[in-house]
Amino acid sequence: MDPTLTEISEEGCFVALTYEHLRVQDIMDRVRSPQAGAIVLFAGTTRDSFAGKPVKELQYSAYAPLALKTMLSLCKDVVARHGLKGIAMIHRLGTVPIGEESILIAVSAPHRQAAWRAGEEALEDCKRHVEVWKREEFEGEGGVWRANRDGIPGQKITGNGEAH
Amino acid sequence: MGAIPKPPKGHFNVLYFASASSFTSKEYDVLPAPLPIGKLFDALEERHSDIKEKILSSCLVTVNLDYVDVPNRDSEDASSESGVVIREGDEVAIIPPVSSG
Repeated sequence: MDPTLTEISEEGCFVALTYEHLRVQDIMDRVRSPQAGAIVLFAGTTRDSFAGKPVKELQYSAYAPLALKTMLSLCKDVVARHGLKGIAMIHRLGTVPIGEESILIAVSAPHRQAAWRAGEEALEDCKRHVEVWKREEFEGEGGVWRANRDGIPGQKITGNGEAH
Repeated sequence: MGAIPKPPKGHFNVLYFASASSFTSKEYDVLPAPLPIGKLFDALEERHSDIKEKILSSCLVTVNLDYVDVPNRDSEDASSESGVVIREGDEVAIIPPVSSG
């Protein structure tokens, strides 16, 4: 896989990593479809505290080729499970100031129920598996590499997306 | 992370991310190949004291973007020849617990 690759588009799935600001309209347009009756969009934004401690900013880094591969694999699974017309997932890297979007996920489906569910599942799958790391920089002290499942290793993902 | 140079002949790269990169103060190491996967953690421990206990115990390992099992990771018997053998030019990566989103 091309090590400089920052996006993949395949079978109704668009996944990407970027150091730029995230744009809601762009990601929505990626999943627009005449067969869709709903688009659900999730925007994850950076919070100003962790366990009561003020956070100054967040730094995201990634193993880009593997993160894209994992994003594509889990997006294909979500499309298949919910009969989606499209899914787009983009994660921002580098410094993300407080209150800005760090991730956007858009899904389109013929009906809203599937779109709501698929959007939530896609985010949870992403947080569990995608090889991106968040470092919280605290006011007046150093930073901490956060783990979404603190103390528990990340889980493997197999070809069909089942954790084991 | 910047571009990682290709490893010299007879070697492979081990990439570090997040806590593994902070611990080693490096983005990668270059190790001699071939190496049975069961000996990887000991080879890294020789270069970075305490990395097994402090970092590797909670990490997964990929070889050429595929997750691999690391045999005997919790035992003293690291001489196992079972499992994958890391070859010249392979890209090995230490994957700490992820925190995307």
